[in-house]
Amino acid sequence: MQTPSPEIAELISRCALRDRAAFRSLYERTSAKLFGVVLRILKDRSEAEEAIQEVYVKIWQRADRYVPGHTSPISWLVAVARNHSLDILRARRPVADDIDTALDIADDAPNPEQATADRQVRGQIDSCLQTLEPDRAEAVRGAYLDGFSYEELAQRHSIPLNTMRTWLRRSLLRLRECLSA
Amino acid sequence: MSMGDQSGGDASGRRALVAEYVLGLLGPNEHRRVAAMIADDRALQAEERFWTDHFAALDAEFAETPVPPQLLARIEGRLFGQPEPARRWTGFWDSLAFWRAAAAGAAAIAVIAIGTNLLRPELSAEALTTQLVAALEAEGSDVRFLAFYDGAGTLRLTALSGATAADQDLELWAIEDDSVISMGVVPIGEAIEVKVSPEILEHWGEGSSLALTLEPKGGSPTGVATGPIVAQGQVTRI
Repeated sequence: MQTPSPEIAELISRCALRDRAAFRSLYERTSAKLFGVVLRILKDRSEAEEAIQEVYVKIWQRADRYVPGHTSPISWLVAVARNHSLDILRARRPVADDIDTALDIADDAPNPEQATADRQVRGQIDSCLQTLEPDRAEAVRGAYLDGFSYEELAQRHSIPLNTMRTWLRRSLLRLRECLSA
Repeated sequence: MSMGDQSGGDASGRRALVAEYVLGLLGPNEHRRVAAMIADDRALQAEERFWTDHFAALDAEFAETPVPPQLLARIEGRLFGQPEPARRWTGFWDSLAFWRAAAAGAAAIAVIAIGTNLLRPELSAEALTTQLVAALEAEGSDVRFLAFYDGAGTLRLTALSGATAADQDLELWAIEDDSVISMGVVPIGEAIEVKVSPEILEHWGEGSSLALTLEPKGGSPTGVATGPIVAQGQVTRI
């Protein structure tokens, strides 16, 4: 977004103080971005129009949970929109819980706090995704940007569900290693 | 099978699980279970932040799409109800022009707080007259807070910006005449409410000041401020 983040951060803080003008201003500056998020994940315009309203209701109600300086304000807003869209999708998916979650992989990864301390994370994810096989990187991006479930990813990549999960989990651990390096 | 059985036993498994959680790949039950796990575990919270921060770099790929214009009115209707006849304060506080002017002002946070209490009609006029606000800031410091006193013994604080080192806390002080009284340690991450003690209330009012100092974890060990003032502001009447 072109809008400078500190200003967005202040608008969110003012929402926490129940400032309606700040809310409107925040909406004017960020709604196109957030609508892009819900539309891409829900893939249905009328559903997205309903969801974006709920997203801004949540933003107003949860504005006091935003931690300035901790997360970029735009990322925080996108996360609210993205998580809300995923909640909608999750609620309607068949319950395919409790696939085996154990993975036997050695644990020598560095502490994430150091890795994110300087918050210089932009661009890193792209180069680390490039270290994965292209179809696996595509699966990770599909999960984040399109909200694809394991079932959908397995179908798209024509592999069994459990294989999909194993492969994606391994890819995530490799990604983590690269991002922490 | 599930994570409950292997707490601590398989750190990589837990990490991958948090990544799956952040991506939204887990089914409803597992999603809830992992959310509860994260809420209880600082290491997993750091792990969640790690993924959230990194994946956020992909946010640029969400294409901006204009929202149909009628939606804002619907959202405001849902949040604030039907448009009402102007309340005493509404016109002024809700004025965009006011906020723009305020933002452009020399103290970039000529900030006024609207507490929820202001919007409650049952508040007496007398209570309204004693509501106070303060913008806390200091030169060379990025700690900025808003404080709103509701006229009934509670101070509501919201951080606009700032961070502390892991081994430090911010402590809030009421400064009145010659006395400086601690109001306790203030978390930077959330809006909080602080009860104003009777001792402070005795001299509380316009002209009182609030200050935040940097103190060792848990607050000043001596009851007297030991660290530098990182933000300060005078209390003024709304």
